[in-house]
Amino acid sequence: MERLITKLTEKQVLFTASFAVRLALVAYGDHQDRTMVVKYTDIDYHVFTDAARFITEGESPYNRSTYRYTPLLAWMLTPNIYLSMVFGKILFIVCDVLSGLLIYRILRLRGLGSETARRVCSLWLLNPLTMGVSSRGNAESILAALVLGTLLCMEARHLMWAAILYGLSVHMKIYPITYALPIALTLRTPETRSEEERKRWRSFIGFIGSFFNRELLLFASVAGGVFCMLTAFFYYMYGWEFLHETYLYHLTRRDIRHNFSPYFYMLYLTADSRWSQWLGLAAFLPQLILLLVASWAFHSDLAFCCFLHTAIFVSFNKVCTSQYFLWYLCLLPLVIPHLSLSLKQGVGLLLLWFAGQGIWLCPAYFLEFEGYNTFLLIWLAGLLFMIINSSILIQIVAHYKPTQTAQRLKVE
Amino acid sequence: IKQINHTCIITVIMKRSNNEDHCGLLKQLLESSPVSVEINKKGFHRELVTTVELIPDVPSGVRVLLVQRWPRGVYLDPYQLASLSDQRDWQILLDSGIDLEVPAHKTSGFVTYVYPTPDGPTPSLVKVTIPVHGRYHEPSFDGKTFTSVDIEPPELLLRTEKCAQLNNLEPHIVVDAPCTPDNSSTCPWVKLLHQQEQGSGGFQFPVGDGSLVTPVCGGTLLVTMICCVALSKYMWEHRII
Repeated sequence: MERLITKLTEKQVLFTASFAVRLALVAYGDHQDRTMVVKYTDIDYHVFTDAARFITEGESPYNRSTYRYTPLLAWMLTPNIYLSMVFGKILFIVCDVLSGLLIYRILRLRGLGSETARRVCSLWLLNPLTMGVSSRGNAESILAALVLGTLLCMEARHLMWAAILYGLSVHMKIYPITYALPIALTLRTPETRSEEERKRWRSFIGFIGSFFNRELLLFASVAGGVFCMLTAFFYYMYGWEFLHETYLYHLTRRDIRHNFSPYFYMLYLTADSRWSQWLGLAAFLPQLILLLVASWAFHSDLAFCCFLHTAIFVSFNKVCTSQYFLWYLCLLPLVIPHLSLSLKQGVGLLLLWFAGQGIWLCPAYFLEFEGYNTFLLIWLAGLLFMIINSSILIQIVAHYKPTQTAQRLKVE
Repeated sequence: IKQINHTCIITVIMKRSNNEDHCGLLKQLLESSPVSVEINKKGFHRELVTTVELIPDVPSGVRVLLVQRWPRGVYLDPYQLASLSDQRDWQILLDSGIDLEVPAHKTSGFVTYVYPTPDGPTPSLVKVTIPVHGRYHEPSFDGKTFTSVDIEPPELLLRTEKCAQLNNLEPHIVVDAPCTPDNSSTCPWVKLLHQQEQGSGGFQFPVGDGSLVTPVCGGTLLVTMICCVALSKYMWEHRII
């Protein structure tokens, strides 16, 4: 078994095999689409392709209803129309394997040995969930590659590239904006010993002042510049519709249909009442508080901080679908080597997470496909899933051992 | 000249009687073709099966059109219909764009025109299965756990090239509707004056319980606050300095 694992995780074998398996899945998916009633390809892939078709005809991609992404994605997928429908899927699986490579490079930069790094990588590369998602035509792997690329550049202190990739990833999806605070806290001038003894208001001014250093200003201006340029360009091309569908819709989204979020039933029942705005704000507060605490507590370990940010953001969001899980799952391999959990504990937490989803999916299936009124059960399952997510995050935080500890132990 | 006149008159009389035959046949078809509607599947994703039994020997050139008025509680997915187009022999035309996500009380109904076998001869039994989806409805405040959405059977419209005077088919009404699914032109069609009461179909969709709004809001905010406080506490205790 040990020899098999070692053989499987040899560098060339691992990356080639993971790409080959994904390619095979794409081919199988094509076959299933043509022969069976239940389709393999995700509905989103058809949305992207339809939007790309509109672009090839010189029109706006937003003519395709439910296309709520950046026009850049539809532009990238225009070869779907010119060359072959399968181009997009190939692009997604390439980004998926690239994400695996980026995870490997980040782990090596953080001091992990080559063999351990490859084994951790295989959690992403040989994971059936990620294989299925990218071969079905979901664009999440592009964003995973961009976020991991940003983290790699930050780790290697290539700030210019990190800023460009960061601006691009915020353009593609809004959630990476939450990384702005930990990145800012990382890049600011660190406090020196003498400054800690200053008076309160002086140390407050000093704190604000520490944000104004060359590195942070460079990062902010490059990332902000990339984002603003792309926004301005696409606004010029597609107008208000672009802003609304790509950004505003996601910010004000109140999907009252059932989803994993604990807030779903509350928002459904109060959708037309005068309290709905206040309740929306009340739902936003825990998210905000946790993001601020996470930023301050863990900004020195950027990868862990970003993982926590995204996991908190998704778990406490007003809308939560299974697609969102990939946003933090791509950062989990960076966290795992530093967890002092035993294999049994780790697998136990994983099974707990899956159980939480299963408990939600049961009444949801009965509501949607059998017509039973299971709203209360779905709500309770959503609350349970939130409790499970919080417990898992607490366990991860409690058992996380940052790299500095290892170095401190060595010295002692 | 007299002989020519006779031939002319005879030709005209024969043409008119042919016309009358076709028009009479159309009227007969209209009056004796029952339209029935059946709803299959459960939950929010259903199928509406419309069956029309025409006379066994449908004369060539007769075209059928089913005009269905849909309530706002349900919707059709135009993209789903397009992707299924190669598996069915009927074509559908929607009268307006459809918002796939909006709840029922924030939208309005729509009309569809279904053309069975537009490119071939009309069969004697027309069966059309349309996938339908339920919208979310407003929560109920009177304890009802389900809401009903009623659907009336579609209107059967007929026309044929060989009957020009559709107005003579009294008491049935002549309406204008698209000739073909591509909506390129409008033609006169004849429809029944009194729609047969074949029993309208109904959908039942679950709705949220509005009377529980206070415990649901209270419970949700309480649990999320507790999780927030617990997670914040642990994160602060284990912060990396």
